[in-house]
Amino acid sequence: MAASEEIELVSPLQGSKYRPSPRRLVGQAILHLILLAMSFVSVTPFVWMVFASFKHFQELVRSTALLPQVWTLENYIEIIGRVNFPAAFSNSTLQATSVTLCSALTSAALGFIFAKYRFWGKEKLFTLLLSTMMIPFAVVLVPLYITIADLKMSNHLSGIIVTGLWSSFGLFLMRQFMESIPSELLDAARIDGASEWRIFFTLVLPMATSALAALIVFIFLFNWDNFLWPLVVLNSPEKQTLPLVLAGLRSLYWTRYEMWAAGSMLTVVPVMVIYIFASKYFIRGLAMTGLKA
Amino acid sequence: MTTANTTGSQGQSGSRLRGAVAAVRWASRKPQFWFGASIILPTLIWYWMFSFRPILNALRLAVVQYRVLNPAASKFVGMDNFLQLFEHPLFFISVRNTLLWAALAFVFILPLSIFIATCLANVRRGRNTYQAIIFVPVVVSLVAVSLLFRMLMDPEVGMFNQILRALHLPESRWLAGTSSALPTIVAVGSWKGLGFYVVILTAGILHIPEELYDAALVDGASEWQRFWRITLPLLGHTLLLVTVLLAIGTLQEFTFPFVMTRGGPGDATYVYNMLIYSEAFEDLRFGTATAAALLQFGLILFISLVQIRLLRPRWSY
Repeated sequence: MAASEEIELVSPLQGSKYRPSPRRLVGQAILHLILLAMSFVSVTPFVWMVFASFKHFQELVRSTALLPQVWTLENYIEIIGRVNFPAAFSNSTLQATSVTLCSALTSAALGFIFAKYRFWGKEKLFTLLLSTMMIPFAVVLVPLYITIADLKMSNHLSGIIVTGLWSSFGLFLMRQFMESIPSELLDAARIDGASEWRIFFTLVLPMATSALAALIVFIFLFNWDNFLWPLVVLNSPEKQTLPLVLAGLRSLYWTRYEMWAAGSMLTVVPVMVIYIFASKYFIRGLAMTGLKA
Repeated sequence: MTTANTTGSQGQSGSRLRGAVAAVRWASRKPQFWFGASIILPTLIWYWMFSFRPILNALRLAVVQYRVLNPAASKFVGMDNFLQLFEHPLFFISVRNTLLWAALAFVFILPLSIFIATCLANVRRGRNTYQAIIFVPVVVSLVAVSLLFRMLMDPEVGMFNQILRALHLPESRWLAGTSSALPTIVAVGSWKGLGFYVVILTAGILHIPEELYDAALVDGASEWQRFWRITLPLLGHTLLLVTVLLAIGTLQEFTFPFVMTRGGPGDATYVYNMLIYSEAFEDLRFGTATAAALLQFGLILFISLVQIRLLRPRWSY
């Protein structure tokens, strides 16, 4: 009864709010068209690249057809044989996973401490740690390189791992999230005799799963993709990560685009697999950070 | 009681030192103290080694003539590094290119991302799917995207020009043309970054309370009016974040021009960070490179503060 009255009242002004009118449907259709166009623009280049990696050079430069006339795996075989992709792949994986796991853990622990503990100078310390985020990387590029060289870590994978073990961004994100964990819960666990370590690992970490997942995806992708710092630290080919090896294809294969495509595929596919499973966390995490910052 | 580590109210009687000692002794009996200390201590060491000390060293490096083989013998030269920088033949070119890059990126990204975000916020079905697809370029490796577009934009055999040829439209030199290179490379960068800003803006729009739109609807506001009078003003905080991030990101662009064009053709896409990189690791002038980086920091800080001053909304909900 009340609902129908409301419709009666409002419909003279704007009935479309309550009943899908033709105008509303057209509006939704236009929105879908725009978003479909945008989606098309976003993925088509990659689709082209996928097929290009299976084409012969002659075909790639002559025909505009999307699908290859002759499918070939030769590009992949040649590139894996000539460029040390397996080594680059394992370097990238080792670097990105160790940095991700370690900085996710340190961020979570610090986030927990800064959110739930009280101690002298807490806010000042927090501001100090976060303020490092403001400094452009170029400022520390040279001094950090000198530090790494002094530690005899230049041209070594550890040189790009050690600089990523903590993350100010992660600290910020995790503190935001940890604030929402009820202190009563922690106190209850303490009264039950749980140690702080146990509380952190069995209570706090599981509760922070969604924020942690977002952070892990963030850090992993950033490190997988990182270019400038590895470029500076790693010189010898067998130490290099995927982005460096990939960038090297430009001079190695001049304009043999089918090799570029195959190399890019080898770099992109692992990330895409992760993204397909984790896109939800990633987008939610980014949206959350954007709203809170 | 359970969450207090040390306390400030202990030093009321007796000397401050004795109070502090007592406070530490009292605090160290708490389980939180050991957990906190075993996390905070390595944190401080790491930050000192890999963050604070390098930052302080940067200030020192900028005013010395750094000797790579014998750092201890580096001579203090004051502002010489900065003066040398201004005399660098590529300094003003790189500054101009970088500022142009940032300006173009604003033009390309800001209106389009607000538009797409508004569409996403209003569409009733499939929002998450669209968002996930539009976000794809953000997650794909920068280097792969650089190579991909170099292939597509090859003036002779690239897909873009082949399509233009088939449609009998004028072709472009894209990255190979002196005047087209910078806009083209910024367009590629914007294409890659757009999804990031779309996601932040969509979240911002969806965060605006629904009641405001309902009230406007009752008052008979058109969709156009609702966008300009409600969405855009109430998006203030998010827009500020987006513009600051956009400025910080584009003023530090490096990988795209480095991989795609090496700054060329000529010096058409030579950006400031490439200058810093080549000063430091090609010419081994650590001092000048760090001076250049500090100058960049100053500029970024200034621009961010101006943005915050001009755009920060004076309300919140």
